[in-house]
Amino acid sequence: MTHQFRFRRGIVTAALLCLFPATVFAQNNGGPRMDHENTLPPTPTGPTPRTADGHPDLTGLWNGLADNLLGVPNQMHNVGIEVGTDTTRDIHSGIQVATWPLQNRARQNNEQNERAATLLRRMGSNRPIYKPQYWQRVKDFDANSNEEDPSNNCMPAGVPRMGVPSYIAQTPTYLIFIYPGQGGLIATATSYRMIPTDGRKHTNLEDLDGTWNGEAIGHWEGDTMVVDTIGFNSTSWFDQLGGYFHSENMHVIERLHRDGNTLTWTATIEDPDVLLEPWTTTPRVALLNPDPKAILLESLPCSERDFAHVVTKEHH
Amino acid sequence: MLSRARITKLLAIGAMGIVALAGLAFRAQGQQRNDSKPSVAAKTIPAKAAESATDPNTSEVAKTLKAAAEAVGLARWSGVGGQKLPEVDVVNTMELWASGTTYGLGQPSKPGEPLTALNTEVHVALGYNPPAMRLEMTCTNPGAPAQGGAAPIHTIQVVRENYAWDESEIGAGLVPGKGTATPTMAAVNNRLLRLWILPYGVIKAALAAGDKTKLSTENGATVLTFPLSKPFADVMVKATLDAQNMVARVETRTDNPKLGGMLTETEYSDYADHGEIATDIKSPGHIVHKQNGHPVLDIHVKMWDANNPYLVFPVPENVKKAAAQ
Repeated sequence: MTHQFRFRRGIVTAALLCLFPATVFAQNNGGPRMDHENTLPPTPTGPTPRTADGHPDLTGLWNGLADNLLGVPNQMHNVGIEVGTDTTRDIHSGIQVATWPLQNRARQNNEQNERAATLLRRMGSNRPIYKPQYWQRVKDFDANSNEEDPSNNCMPAGVPRMGVPSYIAQTPTYLIFIYPGQGGLIATATSYRMIPTDGRKHTNLEDLDGTWNGEAIGHWEGDTMVVDTIGFNSTSWFDQLGGYFHSENMHVIERLHRDGNTLTWTATIEDPDVLLEPWTTTPRVALLNPDPKAILLESLPCSERDFAHVVTKEHH
Repeated sequence: MLSRARITKLLAIGAMGIVALAGLAFRAQGQQRNDSKPSVAAKTIPAKAAESATDPNTSEVAKTLKAAAEAVGLARWSGVGGQKLPEVDVVNTMELWASGTTYGLGQPSKPGEPLTALNTEVHVALGYNPPAMRLEMTCTNPGAPAQGGAAPIHTIQVVRENYAWDESEIGAGLVPGKGTATPTMAAVNNRLLRLWILPYGVIKAALAAGDKTKLSTENGATVLTFPLSKPFADVMVKATLDAQNMVARVETRTDNPKLGGMLTETEYSDYADHGEIATDIKSPGHIVHKQNGHPVLDIHVKMWDANNPYLVFPVPENVKKAAAQ
């Protein structure tokens, strides 16, 4: 066995190991198992609780699908493609994708599984439109993301890449969002946000030091919580896939809407420095953890990658 | 020596050949819109065809299509994380680089001489959702220096759904000061057709054709015959599979005067995963395209990125305005 082959197998093994925390996480918290036969969004059930001030109560542990850890699409959920048992749909375009229902089929090795999963995660039609002078940069970042992706160096995922918060606590004047970190090949640190909803205004952008999560302020538009964030650094990428870099002038508008035991999240990214037009993520639907006693467990520590030993550009 | 106009004409012809690369696509119906929203027909046909491909009592056509889709790496499933999902068509965007020769059609530059061969560099970016292709070609006449010299001819032809335009540089016409985009609406069908004669496009289109896809055997080889959907309803495709179920040869026939009433033949061989990032998607390494029996393009692939790379095809405003007129 050659060294290269051993390293490749090691990388694939590491990639698989990175999936385990999500599975363990879900099972430890009473969430559903990960052996889904489809990636259709959950159907809302139950009433939408409201707080004393009449707004929907977003409080809860939103990891019922066990795949919204820092927005990382470890599995197939929330990647813009709805895979049913016999039909598949690109959510953004509505295009139906050819589907062959599950049948007895030959076993696949880990590499085959990972490569197929990667293709599926990346096949969606909803892509930000950068100014043409940045197309090649996005492609280069994407192709070399094993080295270029800031999250592979234990940096925070940042907003909006973190996606749906795994836990929300709601008070009359602020929200707390918690995003557990994870170890494994896709390694990110635990992050939190404290988001005022008391009607305050943003600090002047010029007076803000750019950060990973920026300055967030929330307000209600009907039953939808709108979180408006500015003041970013330019280090993070704004989505898990694609090498989607941004400037310090990025402006993110997140929308969270609770319907029973589901929470739908979208983010609109405005960045006239690099984008040709604003881009809105495909809606992601999180499921309330059905276990009322569920808690967030301690995250695994982030460990940096030994890039000198990475011999392939395969990545998620 | 070839004139610049003649070289440009040859480029256009060669581009048609590059067809080779292009694919057919079941989403031709969705080409009347620019927001990538599909037509109802496009939504339903492929899934139906795919379903029938997995029925135990399914037709031989469906079984053959499934085998072809799996052979080329288009139909894929993953058990990552314990998922038990069905197989789906995972091919959307692709990018490839190739080099080879473009041949002149018709008469040679001088009586008795062979057809002129131009050294050709090809760069293609394509997507099936929405159907789009950017074809960049650079052709050089190797005999030109001895004949007084001629600058390489560089063209960038783009199509997306029902828009077609030429770019002075990649992404031209989208931001001020960055090149010009010249509407070429009459070329929409020709350019889209390129997308559907690629192996992946052939499979997608054959699935979309549903019951109209017929199976036969010629000289021991499996042959699929089917019509393309609108706007290519009068184009018949004949695809021959090799022993590994790879699309080895594609013929298109049409009497449509807009497409020149031509017969095209494209041969694909040397299938492999030609990407820098392994995907298990097999792409042809050698493509030969003929029109009306004449070879017009013969290229070897240097790299074929099938990992659904970041490729976008926004339509410049002036092209939208031209289309609306």
